[in-house]
Amino acid sequence: MFIKNTWYVACTLADLNALGDKPLGRTICNEKMAFFKGPDGKVAAVEDFCPHRGAPLSLGKVCKGHLQCGYHGLEMGVDGKTVQMPGQRVRGFPAIKAFAVVERYGFVWVWPGDQAKADESQMPVFEFFDNPAWAYGGGLYHVQADYRLMIDNLMDLTHETYVHANSIGQPEIDETPSETKVDGDKVVLQRHMQGIQAPPFWQMAMSANGLDPQAKVDRWQICRFSPPSHVMIDVGVALTGKGGFDAAPEHKAYSVVVDFITPETETSHWYHWGMARQFKPEDAALTDKIRAGQDGIFNEDMEMLQLQQVNISRWPERKLLMLNIDSGGVQSRRIIDRLLAQENSSEINA
Amino acid sequence: MSTPDLTQTPIDADGSFEVHLQKSGQTLKVGKEQSILSALQDAGHEVPFSCSQGVCGTCLTQVVAGTPDHWDMFLTPEEQEANTQMLICCSRSQTARLVLDL
Repeated sequence: MFIKNTWYVACTLADLNALGDKPLGRTICNEKMAFFKGPDGKVAAVEDFCPHRGAPLSLGKVCKGHLQCGYHGLEMGVDGKTVQMPGQRVRGFPAIKAFAVVERYGFVWVWPGDQAKADESQMPVFEFFDNPAWAYGGGLYHVQADYRLMIDNLMDLTHETYVHANSIGQPEIDETPSETKVDGDKVVLQRHMQGIQAPPFWQMAMSANGLDPQAKVDRWQICRFSPPSHVMIDVGVALTGKGGFDAAPEHKAYSVVVDFITPETETSHWYHWGMARQFKPEDAALTDKIRAGQDGIFNEDMEMLQLQQVNISRWPERKLLMLNIDSGGVQSRRIIDRLLAQENSSEINA
Repeated sequence: MSTPDLTQTPIDADGSFEVHLQKSGQTLKVGKEQSILSALQDAGHEVPFSCSQGVCGTCLTQVVAGTPDHWDMFLTPEEQEANTQMLICCSRSQTARLVLDL
């Protein structure tokens, strides 16, 4: 069960554009969808199911803004109604589902639930996209694990010490207590470490920003969960004693880890990850270098989560421990559960 | 006294009607819960059909007399109004008798 009356990142516009005249098939919240560009050039999403014989439309191709089925040439429109098919009158063909889509921030966002409730004003707002003061680079993983395991992972960074020992991990993360606060539908977990040596990834970022990588720093991690499954993490280091998170830009290297976590099935998800930064936004080589670093780091998480899912699926009755370090994930799941219950009760009342 | 022309008479209150097949000369009774197509099949006639829901047009049949009650999504509204052809998988009759070119 997923919160479905909400916007999820489906794919990047770049990934869709790279397919040329091929559509993109993707399952989101157990809904099989085919994404393609309609006659006006805008991205559309329809059920990945040809009304003729049930073939996946995503195996077809896009012809003049219609999605042509790769089996017998039925042409599907952006509204889920068949436009034409060779030798057939299509007026009576049953319609398939069409999903509301918004193109924003370089991503295609989709509303997998009740289409009558699709509301563009509910799109989340991010200051770091489409903003010349910021640079963004990121990637995508297809992770064979419950999307909530990824939320747990990102809302508890003590794992960095062990999973990412060679890049961003350091014992001070374990040694410094974190603080979790819930504000309505949002969860904020933060940890501030003082007077420490920066780990390798941050030494690289300090050098890139003209700071001495060997200098003592104050380091922060502020993890922000918002529904349905976005986690934005303010991360960075500042020369020690300069104010930490609030230090002036010339004394720090910092960024926002951007995580859009889109459920695919109960045990798999699409993970769009990235990093937005305000230092040297014009430096494309630095963006690539950070992306490559982040790619390596997040690959370490992916291996852990997938094998964690294998264990959990094998022993579904085993209850897991929720420790003090897990409170960010626990609170995030509580919000998901509450919104899920709300969504399901409003469907029953409707 | 002449018998009434059933192709000009409204169908029975029970929803049944008869279909006369011009070529074979046979007359079939079509009950309320039955389609013309299934009545034909029950009587051993092999007629073309596919979707059975008024979409594909495979069972399109010429109407010789009587007035069809169109339920299909295949014919255009204009074609339906002309009453010269019908889809026998789902469309029925407004008159007590239909004569089909079968």
